[in-house]
Amino acid sequence: MSVRVGEKAPELTLDGVVKGDFKSVSLKDYRGKWLVLFFYPLDFTFV
Amino acid sequence: MSEFEQRNSGVVAISTDSKFSHKAWLQTPRKKGGIEGCQYPLLADFTKKVSADYGVLQEASGVAVRGLFLINPEGVVEAIQVNNLPIGRNVDEALRLLDAFQEHQKNGVVCPIGWAKGKEAIKPSDAAAWFEKHAK
Repeated sequence: MSVRVGEKAPELTLDGVVKGDFKSVSLKDYRGKWLVLFFYPLDFTFV
Repeated sequence: MSEFEQRNSGVVAISTDSKFSHKAWLQTPRKKGGIEGCQYPLLADFTKKVSADYGVLQEASGVAVRGLFLINPEGVVEAIQVNNLPIGRNVDEALRLLDAFQEHQKNGVVCPIGWAKGKEAIKPSDAAAWFEKHAK
């Protein structure tokens, strides 16, 4: 599956780190706001 | 980050590392290759499902390539950039895209090649005027 412009972004909910704490974040949390979502290969490399 | 906040935009980063790796990276000083002080969420796509959903999973290595998705307030994808592994992205370009889409949303104009905030955009109803003024 892939993503196309003009279509809904696939929903996602993932654990992660937010301001130093472990936290779960969903795409839904950003409804009503713009979002720059980016992927990178590995920690400790450049992004 | 404040430049994104000023534009009513969040920033979220995802890799296939674990959240523990993220935490270690966040605690590593910048001069040691870390990202200490980073304010936006780093999410762990440990099962690689989300990377696959977004079409950025490199099957051979199991990591995500450098994909960027600009998502509007309704959850619709407005722009996509995907770079292969060796090349990084440009924050200014992400901000330019945000400015351009917000300009379009607010004023109904379209933003031609090289448009940046402060430059004149094209009114679709009167495109001829723009070309008259700007075409070389």
